[in-house]
Amino acid sequence: MPDEKRSKSDRLFRLAMKALPSDFRGDYGNEMHRVFNDQRREASEKEGFAGLMAVWWETLTGLLKTGPREHWEILKQDCAYAARMMRKNLGFTLIAVLTLGLGIGANTAIFSVVNAVLLKPLPYPKGKQLVVVRQAATGQGVADIAFSVPEVNDYRTQNKTLAGLEEYHTMTFTLLGREEPLRVQTGVVSAGFFDLFGVKPILGRSFRPEDDQVGAPAVLLVSYEFWKNSLGGDPQIVGKTFRMNDRVHTVIGVLPPVPQYPNENDVYMPTSACPFRSSESMRDNRDSRMMNVFGRERDGVTSHQVNADLATIAGRLKQDYPKSYPAGDGYSASAFSLQNELTKQARPTLLVLLAAAGFVLLIACANVANLMLARMAQRERELAVRSALGAGQSRLLRQLLTESVIIALLGALLGLLCASGSLELLTGFASRFTPRAREIRIDYIVLLFALAAAMATSVVFGSLSAFFSRETVSSGLKEATGAASSSRGRHRVRSLLIISQVAFSFLLLAGAGLMLRSFVRLTKVSPGFVSQNVLAMDINANFAKYTKPEQYAGLAQRLLESVKTEPGVVSAAISSSFPFDPDSIIFGPQFGTFDIESRPLKDGEVQPITTFRSASPDYFRTLGIPMIKGRTFTNQDSREAPKVAIINQALAKHRWQNEDPIGHRVSVDNGKTWMAIIGVVGDTKEFGLDRPADDELFVALDQFPNVGSLIVRTMSDPMTLARDLRRRIYEVDADTAITNMETIEHARGATLTSPRLTANLMGVFAGLALVMAATGIGGIMALTVSQRMHEIGIRMALGARPSAVLTMVLRQGLVLGLAGIAIGVLATMGLTRLLQTLLFEISPTDPATLVSVTCVLIGAAIVSCVVPAWRAASIDPLVALRFE
Amino acid sequence: MPTNSKDHIFDEHLPLTPALFHVLLALADGEKHGYAILKEVTQRTNGKVKLSAGTLYGIIKRLDESGMISEIAARPEIGMDDERRRYYRLTELGRQVAMAEASRLEEMVEMARAKRLVRKPRLA
Repeated sequence: MPDEKRSKSDRLFRLAMKALPSDFRGDYGNEMHRVFNDQRREASEKEGFAGLMAVWWETLTGLLKTGPREHWEILKQDCAYAARMMRKNLGFTLIAVLTLGLGIGANTAIFSVVNAVLLKPLPYPKGKQLVVVRQAATGQGVADIAFSVPEVNDYRTQNKTLAGLEEYHTMTFTLLGREEPLRVQTGVVSAGFFDLFGVKPILGRSFRPEDDQVGAPAVLLVSYEFWKNSLGGDPQIVGKTFRMNDRVHTVIGVLPPVPQYPNENDVYMPTSACPFRSSESMRDNRDSRMMNVFGRERDGVTSHQVNADLATIAGRLKQDYPKSYPAGDGYSASAFSLQNELTKQARPTLLVLLAAAGFVLLIACANVANLMLARMAQRERELAVRSALGAGQSRLLRQLLTESVIIALLGALLGLLCASGSLELLTGFASRFTPRAREIRIDYIVLLFALAAAMATSVVFGSLSAFFSRETVSSGLKEATGAASSSRGRHRVRSLLIISQVAFSFLLLAGAGLMLRSFVRLTKVSPGFVSQNVLAMDINANFAKYTKPEQYAGLAQRLLESVKTEPGVVSAAISSSFPFDPDSIIFGPQFGTFDIESRPLKDGEVQPITTFRSASPDYFRTLGIPMIKGRTFTNQDSREAPKVAIINQALAKHRWQNEDPIGHRVSVDNGKTWMAIIGVVGDTKEFGLDRPADDELFVALDQFPNVGSLIVRTMSDPMTLARDLRRRIYEVDADTAITNMETIEHARGATLTSPRLTANLMGVFAGLALVMAATGIGGIMALTVSQRMHEIGIRMALGARPSAVLTMVLRQGLVLGLAGIAIGVLATMGLTRLLQTLLFEISPTDPATLVSVTCVLIGAAIVSCVVPAWRAASIDPLVALRFE
Repeated sequence: MPTNSKDHIFDEHLPLTPALFHVLLALADGEKHGYAILKEVTQRTNGKVKLSAGTLYGIIKRLDESGMISEIAARPEIGMDDERRRYYRLTELGRQVAMAEASRLEEMVEMARAKRLVRKPRLA
C-alpha cells in the first residue's frame, strides 16, 4: 500500500481502525487494509455502488464490534498484571493508596458539604424563585427590619411580581400536659406559607385560609424532627391535642424533613393562634414589627423587576406614612434569593476548605508521582524485557496507566470510606453555618466527584511516570551511560515535584497558622464581663397566666428570692436575655429607636438607635460588668419611682461624646415616658466575640418587667446547682419552661465552635501536607544517596570527610526545601487574602505566621534529610566501590 | 454422550461461534491468507455468513492465541502467492477442536432428528 496514493477511502478506513487497540493495529492493520481493499474492489466490480456500500457497512460494524472486545481483553490482562505487580510491591501500593485515600477523602468529605449546601438546588419545587423580602433603613445602618402586620398586608396586596407573599415569625411557647412543661419553638406563619414553599405534610394536611381566621380553632403542624424526637414518631399523631397558651391545639399534620429558615421550629401555628400576632395592637400598629416575609417570584419575572416593584411600594408607603418612615431613615424594601440567604454564611469557609483539600490532593499526587518515578527506576529492566519481547511502547504506557488508575480507584474507595466516616462531624460543623447541613450525604454526585478525583489524580501522577517510562523503555537495555540521561531527567522532575509540594504545604500551613492565630485571638477577646462561674437559662413563663406587667414583676421577685437562698449562689439577676444566649446569637441584636430630651432631630437627621435590655438590680454585679460612672439599679427603682436607665460606654461615647450623659433623659416611646440616665457600664460583646460592642440601653426590670432569663453567679462549678435551681423555679411556678440552661463560659465556647472547627480542619490538612512534603524530601534524598553511592565512595576514598558528605546531602535537601518555601511565600502573599473574611484581627500576610511556617518547613526538611545524610556519611568507600 | 479424557482438552474451546468454526473450516483444506478465508466462507455459505476485515482479524487473533491456527513463516510455492500477505494454517489442536465441534453439532442434529424436527436427508 505505501506506493499507492492514499485515497479518501483509505484515510476513512485508517480512521475507523482507531477503534482498535494500537497493538492490534500494529499486528494486523496492514493486512486488514489489504483485505478491505480486495473486498471493495471485488464488490465494486460485481455489484457496483450498492455492493461497495455493503462492504463499508459490514467493515465498520465489524470494527465497532471488534474494537471494544479487544480493548476489554487488554484491560483484563493489564488489570491482572497490575494486581500481580501491586502485590509484589505491597509497601509501595499501601503507601500510594493511603496517600491518595487521604487526599481524595479530604476532598470528597468537603465536597459532600459543598454539594449539599452550595450546589444542590433547594429541596423546594422551583426553589430558585423563592425570595426573602427585607426592609432596610440605610440611614440608620440597619439592613434588616422586621415587618409589621399592616406592612405585610400592603406588600401582599400591592405587589405585581410575586406569586405569593407569606409572613413568618418565631416564638417560644410552653406546651403543657406532659411530665414537665415543654418549651416549643413555634413558627407562626400565614396560611399559605407551606404552599409557597411547595412543602406538603407527610401526614395530615397543611394550613388552610380558614385556619387563619380570627377565632378559628387552634391547629398545629409539627416538624419532622419534633415528631420523631419528642413525639416518638407517633403515626396516629394527627388529631391529637396539646394545651398551649391556655388553649387546646389540635395537630393537623407532620412536615417532611426540609431545611427550616431562618431557624428551626418544633411546631408551626397559623397567625390567628399566636396571642401576640393576633392582638389588636399588633394587627393595627404599623410600627410594631416582628415578622419575616417570604415570597415567590412569578414565572418569567426577573429579580430586577421584583425589586423595582417593591421599591415602588416602599416609595408609596413613605409618602402615605411619613411618621413611620422618616425621610432620613433611607427606608427601602428589596428581595433576596432564599438559596443565597441560606448559604451565604457558609460559602467563604467552605470554599477555603475545599481549596485547602484540593491542595492536599495535589500534594498527594506529587508524592505518589515521586514514588512512581522512584519505582520506575527499579522497573527499568522489567519494562525493557517486555519491550524486547514485543510489547509496543503504547502497550507499556497503557499498562502503567492501568496501574495508576487502579491505585487511584483504590485510593478513591478508601477516600469514600474516610468521607462517610466523617459525615456526622461535618454535618455538625456545617449546621453552625446553614440549615442545609441536614442535606449532607454521600450521594451519586459525591461518588462521581470521588471517581473524577481519582481519574484526575491518576492522569496527573500516571502520565508523569508514564512519560518518563518512555525513556526507561528505550534506555533500559542499553549501557548505564544511556540510562543516565533519563535518570537525570527523572531527577529533575522529582525535584520539581518536591519543590511544588513544599510550596503547597507552605500555603496550607500558612492558612492553618493564620486561622489558628485568629482563633487564639478570638479566645483571648474579653467579653467585657466575668464569664466564669455563671449559670444562665431562658425562662419561659406561661404567657396565658401573666397578662399584666406587675404580674411579671412579681414573678421575677419570687424567682430571685427563692434562687438567692440556694446555698452556693453568690448573686442572681433576671433580665430579658443573657449574653451569648444561643437564641439571641441566631437573630443578632435587635435595635430600636429612642429620643434624647431637648435634642430634637434636625431635618434629615437620623433617629438614634440602640439595643434594649430589662435588668434587675444585681444584673451587673452577677455578670461582673464594671460600673464606670453613676449607680446601678436598686430596689428603689420601682414601678412608681421616676423611670431610670443605664447605658453602656459605646452608647455614651456615640451620643454624648465628651459630655457626661448622667442626668440626661431618654425615651423609647416617642416622648411619652422619659428615663433619666443614672449610670454608665462597661461594654460587653455578647452577640459574638468577633463583633464590636453594640450601643446598649438598660432599663430597670421593675419598671419594664420582662422575665426572659435567669442569671446566677455561683461559688463553685455552676452546673452542680442546675438541678436545685430548676427545682426552685418549678416551686415558684410549675408552668415555667426552662431552656438553654448552660454556663455562660460554655455559651461563649459555643460561639467559637465554627472558627475552632475551621482552624482544626485547616490544621489537619496542613499536617497531612507537612508529613507528605517531609516524606517526599526524605524519599528523594534517600534515592539520591543510593544512586550516588559509588560517587560518594570515590569522594570518601579521595579524602572527603563524613561531615562534608553529611553537609552536602543536607544542603541538597535544604535547597529543594528553600526553593519551595520561596514559591510558597509568594503564593501565600497572593492567596491568603481570600482568607480575609474568616480572620479576626490578623493580617493575611502576618509576618509572625509566615516566619513560623518557614521555620517549621526548614525543620521538617532537615529532619527528613538526616537519615539519608547520615547514611551517606557512613558509607564505607571499599564497600561502595565493590558494590558498583 | 460418550466422552473420553481427550475430549476434555477440546471442551474448554467449545462451543465455537459460527464465525470461528467457519474460519477453521476454511483452513481445513490448506493454508490461506485472510482474504481467501473471507471469500471461501462467503462462497461456502452462499453469502449467509459474511465476514469483514473488521471481524476477521479479531477471530484470527483469538484462534492464533489459543493455538488453533498459526501463521506460517514459509510461503506456499514461490510465485503462486502474494509475498506481502500473511498466511495461516490449521494446527493439530485446531483440527481436533473443529472435529469436536462438528461432532457436537452432529449430535445436536441427531437429537433434533429424533424429535422429528429435521427432515430426512434426500437421496441423491
